[in-house]
Amino acid sequence: MGTFIERPKFSCALGGALTTLTGLNRVVPIVHAAGGCANSLSVTYNGAAGYRGVGYCGGSMLPTTNIAENNVVFGGEDRLEEQIENTLFAIDGDLYVVVTGCQVEIIGDDARSIARRFADRNVIAACTPGFIGNTLKGYDAVMTSIVENVIEPSRAKNPKEVNIFGVVPGHDVFYRGNLDEIARLLGLIGARANTFFGTGNSVAQIREYGKAALSVVLAPKTGARPAQRLQELNGAPYILSELPIGPSGTAAFLRQIGSALGIDGKLVESAIASENAYYYDFFGRVVDMYADLDWQRYAITSADSYCAHALTKFVANDLGWIPHLTSINDIESEAEQIEYAKRFDDITSECKPTVVFEQNAGQIIKHVRASWELNRNGKYYDALAPAYVIGSSIDAGLAEKLGASLLTAAFPVSNRVVMNKGYAGFRGGLTLAEDLLSQIVSNR
Amino acid sequence: MSTKYAQELSYGFTRQVAPPVRETRIGVCSAYCGECSKLVEDIQSGCAQLQSRKFAQSGGCQLMLAVGIVSSLTNVVIVVHSPLGCCSGFVGTGGVRKTTRATRGKRSEEFVWLHTNMDEQDVVHGGVDKLREAVLYAEREYHPDAIIIANGCVPGIIGDDIDSLATELGGRLSAKLVPVHCEGFKSKYVASGYDSAYHGVLRHLVEPTVKERSAIPDVSEQRDFADRYRISKTVNIFNVGSNSNGDEIELSRILSSLGLIPRVLPLNATLDDLAHIGEAALNVSICATHDDYLLGHLRERFGTPYIIDTLPIGIRSTNRWVRQIAAHFGLQKDAERVIALENEALGAALEPFRKALAGKKVYVGGGETRILTTAAFFKDDLGMELVGVKAHNVDRFVEEIAEELHSPELEITVAAGQPAEEVAVVRRLKPDLYCGHAGANGWISRLGVPNLPLFGMLLNYMGYAGAYELARKAAKAIKNTNFVKNVSANVGLPLSKAWLERDTRLNIKETEQII
Repeated sequence: MGTFIERPKFSCALGGALTTLTGLNRVVPIVHAAGGCANSLSVTYNGAAGYRGVGYCGGSMLPTTNIAENNVVFGGEDRLEEQIENTLFAIDGDLYVVVTGCQVEIIGDDARSIARRFADRNVIAACTPGFIGNTLKGYDAVMTSIVENVIEPSRAKNPKEVNIFGVVPGHDVFYRGNLDEIARLLGLIGARANTFFGTGNSVAQIREYGKAALSVVLAPKTGARPAQRLQELNGAPYILSELPIGPSGTAAFLRQIGSALGIDGKLVESAIASENAYYYDFFGRVVDMYADLDWQRYAITSADSYCAHALTKFVANDLGWIPHLTSINDIESEAEQIEYAKRFDDITSECKPTVVFEQNAGQIIKHVRASWELNRNGKYYDALAPAYVIGSSIDAGLAEKLGASLLTAAFPVSNRVVMNKGYAGFRGGLTLAEDLLSQIVSNR
Repeated sequence: MSTKYAQELSYGFTRQVAPPVRETRIGVCSAYCGECSKLVEDIQSGCAQLQSRKFAQSGGCQLMLAVGIVSSLTNVVIVVHSPLGCCSGFVGTGGVRKTTRATRGKRSEEFVWLHTNMDEQDVVHGGVDKLREAVLYAEREYHPDAIIIANGCVPGIIGDDIDSLATELGGRLSAKLVPVHCEGFKSKYVASGYDSAYHGVLRHLVEPTVKERSAIPDVSEQRDFADRYRISKTVNIFNVGSNSNGDEIELSRILSSLGLIPRVLPLNATLDDLAHIGEAALNVSICATHDDYLLGHLRERFGTPYIIDTLPIGIRSTNRWVRQIAAHFGLQKDAERVIALENEALGAALEPFRKALAGKKVYVGGGETRILTTAAFFKDDLGMELVGVKAHNVDRFVEEIAEELHSPELEITVAAGQPAEEVAVVRRLKPDLYCGHAGANGWISRLGVPNLPLFGMLLNYMGYAGAYELARKAAKAIKNTNFVKNVSANVGLPLSKAWLERDTRLNIKETEQII
């Protein structure tokens, strides 16, 4: 059973469903819930995911049954049917996805049956009441429904085609940039990445995703469920991987995928070598100032399991910062915590990070204080400085208390506008280095 | 002193755990397409309240509005009792709260909220235990002045008794515990959320302080005399989430010029400010949609008379607002002098904007009092052609404002959000300028119509200075319209051709009961 959370970095399953659907081209959600759920959740992601926008038919444009107290008493299925029929008339779309809120699931409306009546008109459904869990649960529910109802089973497989799961639009603030870079990278080793949400993707293309021979799940807490379902229905196995950030993370990623697809190791190594050369060709620009001004920092990373390790690895292994403490907010079970902590074995810095699992944002400062000798008014004090917080907008207070710089690199991000920027890959690593170091010189 | 309708209402709900929703307390129309004068008739007869939509889109939730009020208070922690999605917008608004406080010179504080994170087990077994843990955590970790519990739909449907918890913990906490009942499904009229918030404030935070008596002779008497004098001139101005500090300064300035002592609350107030809320000669609303519930109860509790009339946007509405307040204090002559002076200076200052804007077609959408007063300013003071308005909801508070517009044939749509209808209407009416509520302007941009926001938490709209700023913003919006041209040419709308060409009235249906 979950506990209460101080300043959670998630919305609910319905929020996850909506931010996922908003990332799909010409896909129209139909929200069976009280009138405010859809727009409020859309505002969460528009305001806290680098102003990612409302997409094709999001925000106040979201069709909703707008159920009220009388529906809670008498049921809302008739209203849903009317809303679906009218949405099909009013909104052009390639796919309509009915998603449900808490109120209608508690009273037992059967949204899936209603949606099935419209199956021949591209209407599908997913149960996504907030009480089944956070954002990631909503992504899983919607993606599983897409796997079951949209992706056409295919016996013929393209051995070098992979489906990417686990990147949640909006929750990954940089999802567009990240997915485009992942597709580009896999292209370098002769593979084709089906990203669902990348540039130019369409429902017609997603229908063809059954041809992929492999699914890659990039997050530990989401994506495995739809990938598993796809394996059951269509035979493509899945592997667990991680969002690759920067040279060392991306090299490992390419080797893993290359090996899983049976791609010639020489091709993979030559792709890594040329990308690595590209990275250092640009990174070389800052070498002098990095060294002259001492841009090495103590890094405190605060993020969810999707990117906490990947960000830490980048600053430690690639940028040469001291990975002091990493706090992960979304892993509750002890077994999973132990499993996730093992990822940090690949940190190559002399000093290894303290890894904590803390879902209450206000407690992170206590972990930091516990990790470092207090200043007892001695004449000499080895301070935790200069420090840098790599986290989210919620961690602004933490950075302020520590006197540290802050880069919002994980959800929520409300202090900057994100368009095609991404942190994935070699090129994303350059972008991340640019953003991290720009903060240091921003007052010049 | 107030509109006829405001005088008819009665209050006395604070003995109940939760306030009545506005559907039953006031009566409201949330779906209508037609002429302005017909709407007023249909509301009086009750027909307009019985309409709803076949195709509906997402509007607001009363939880968001309620929490918007109470989360602005100084040194409070909010506990959202619900699954994780409710109020998840907080992840993006911590910085905004900081800015709105900073502009008012308020102490900077880190905004803290807790979430009970209700899950499937809680739906079955109830979530009060988790709520108790969250409240105790808030008390232990942050020592706030108040811990405010915002109740979402799930605990509302399963029947979690948050008030018993408040009673149970009441004596054990240094913080005041404030349950706010704002379950979204209970009201389609999201402004019910304001009543929910103020219900909690009235029941738990408005506790007058007891004056200590001095042992030194006459000291207490002198102090009481000074207090009575101060109170006799004090006017509480009730702010709203959509007004800026610039608005508050401007309205305060006008009242100060009449020799009155303005005090702005309850948003951003400390608990101490709320304890003294009864120490005023007059309570003045700037938006009936927000605060009739609060003002009505304060009159019953402290005997403070109130004015709920117009929203001081534009010249005529501001003049009317000033005159009503002045009349209460017998300051009519002073008011006329102030008004004459202000109107003359403003009239001259507006001249260049009149030249730029006169004859241009304008459409205004948003909250009822705000749109009607803003529309009147565009039409009467700037000489623009008003082609239509859209109100989120309409109730009887705006009957007089609607009549003062003198546009009985004006096309009015009543719709909370519903951009599909609004886009179709605006597309047909082809205004040169659109002024609308947050959430609508983006769709209007995609349509290619230049626009400006109806409100802004950092922009001045109210009073005489606000009228000038509003005219300035309107003129600025048409100085370069390339943004909307580019957007409309390159970023699409999801609406079907059939929908856009159909009469929007066909989307309205009659229902048998108020829903």
